Amino acid sequence: MTLWRTVNVGLAAVIMIMGISTAVWAGNVRQSLAQESAIETIQKKQILRVGFSTFKPWAMKDKNGEFIGFEIDVARRLAKDMGVKVRFIPTKWDGIIPALLTGKFDIIIGGMGITPKRNLKVNFSDPYEFTGMSIIASKSAASGKTSLKDFNTDSTKVSVRLGTTAEKAAKNFLPNAKILKFSDEAASIQELLNGKVDCLIASNPLPANLAQKYPEKLYLPLKDDFTKEPIGFAVRKGDPDFLNYLNNWIKVTNSEGWLESRFNYWFNTKEWESQVE
Amino acid sequence: MKKRVTSLDILLLAVIIGVLSALSYHLVSKLNYHWNWSVIPNYIYRYDQVTGHIKAGQLTQGLLVTLRLSVWSILFALIIGTVMGILRVSPRPLFRMISSTYVGLIRNIPPLVLIFIFYFFLGDQLMSLTGITDLSYSMEDKDFPLLTFLFGPIEQLPAFLSGVLTMSLFEGAYITEIVRAGIEAVPNEQWEASKALGFNRPKQLIHIVLPQAFSQSLPTLAGQFISTIKDSSIVSVISIQELTFAGQELMSATYRTFEIWSVVIILYFLLTFPCSIGVRALEKRMNRHKQD
Repeated sequence: MTLWRTVNVGLAAVIMIMGISTAVWAGNVRQSLAQESAIETIQKKQILRVGFSTFKPWAMKDKNGEFIGFEIDVARRLAKDMGVKVRFIPTKWDGIIPALLTGKFDIIIGGMGITPKRNLKVNFSDPYEFTGMSIIASKSAASGKTSLKDFNTDSTKVSVRLGTTAEKAAKNFLPNAKILKFSDEAASIQELLNGKVDCLIASNPLPANLAQKYPEKLYLPLKDDFTKEPIGFAVRKGDPDFLNYLNNWIKVTNSEGWLESRFNYWFNTKEWESQVE
Repeated sequence: MKKRVTSLDILLLAVIIGVLSALSYHLVSKLNYHWNWSVIPNYIYRYDQVTGHIKAGQLTQGLLVTLRLSVWSILFALIIGTVMGILRVSPRPLFRMISSTYVGLIRNIPPLVLIFIFYFFLGDQLMSLTGITDLSYSMEDKDFPLLTFLFGPIEQLPAFLSGVLTMSLFEGAYITEIVRAGIEAVPNEQWEASKALGFNRPKQLIHIVLPQAFSQSLPTLAGQFISTIKDSSIVSVISIQELTFAGQELMSATYRTFEIWSVVIILYFLLTFPCSIGVRALEKRMNRHKQD
């Protein structure tokens, strides 16, 4: 009997020790998670590092070499609310997610559409803005078309910017058309102007701006955007504290109407145009 | 020998001018593009209304980064190349192996891949280990004018340094081979004669062999320096804000593709052409003693 009791007591002791140590360990995990959050490093270094890519009018350089744009306003306000300085790190769009993952900056504020594929690599905040895809067509190559159906033919050539959500939208909405991909927007626009492609798919306000700039060559076949895409902040995975902060920040600024007014300023007015060119 | 303009020369010249003007006519008239050169001077220099000074425009800033990047890369590549070149001809197999591994490794990786590997893995680790990343947060440009003059804006310092590191390692491999060829071109008698005079190997190298090796490979080295300037455009892929990057950023903001690329080409030419002239003058000077 004594042997049996000894074993029992021993087992109970082991189970208790394991339980307590797990509890202690769990507490440590929570603590270290909070300490390793980007929020902590941002506060410690007093700098919010923001990655983005030049994309009119989301973010661009003005004539004085200062960054301006919708995302720049958002980043400045976010940094101000966190009580830190902001540092802008312009990055090529193709390498922006690897740069975030390797810690070149803390957050991507660059008009990044939330997609399931990107979401596997990074965490997204709630959407703070929505953007829509629109079509701009060439008068010489494709005239008189007024619906997506008109463009969804074998003979239609569509140009898009590589790796953007426009590429995906083109595939989904115009499965029969031939899609040409360009790594920069300027080249795809040039193809459209030369009449080499029938239409260009891009997020507004680019199509609207182009239609205004070249009224004799281009026209807008559809009045409204044909998609509505959520735009979110991208941060490294495994950082619930930062995500929580960002989501609530979005709720607060949204409720103030601040985000909407900034969006309207950059997307629906031309007041800033003289600052760039 | 008399130089004479033949009818063939005139014909060739006419053909070249004809093709060029046809091309430029096509560019100007047929291309659906609204040319607008008036925005360009703004990117070269601008008048700062706050301070009342003339400041460097965005393209000039890019040019300055390119210049700094090239100068530092050339300097470090020369050091790496010289050390590795000497090791390459060392009598010890281990040293020879170290050097040939380095050259073999670097030269057989495409530069683009090498740059990505360095930037995302090695360069980044090094910058945070040495504390340069942290340092760049705490310093302000205006407090360290010398540092800004030498390395550019402090906030771009970690990226700039890892760019310089990559470029120096990459160009260093080519310079290693140039230095090795230079050393091997020095006649064996020079080694033997200096040995007979009582020099040991390091002294032979420093006093006798290397001066001859360098003076022979100077034109090739200078050529390598020019390609370093051009190769520096490749680091635009890792978002180092040199001339090509600045140009591409401007293009995505303004869609002024043709004007900006033209200016970028001219700026690169302005940087490399004087170097080419310098190399030619150098070669002439060095070959003078051969003609006498």
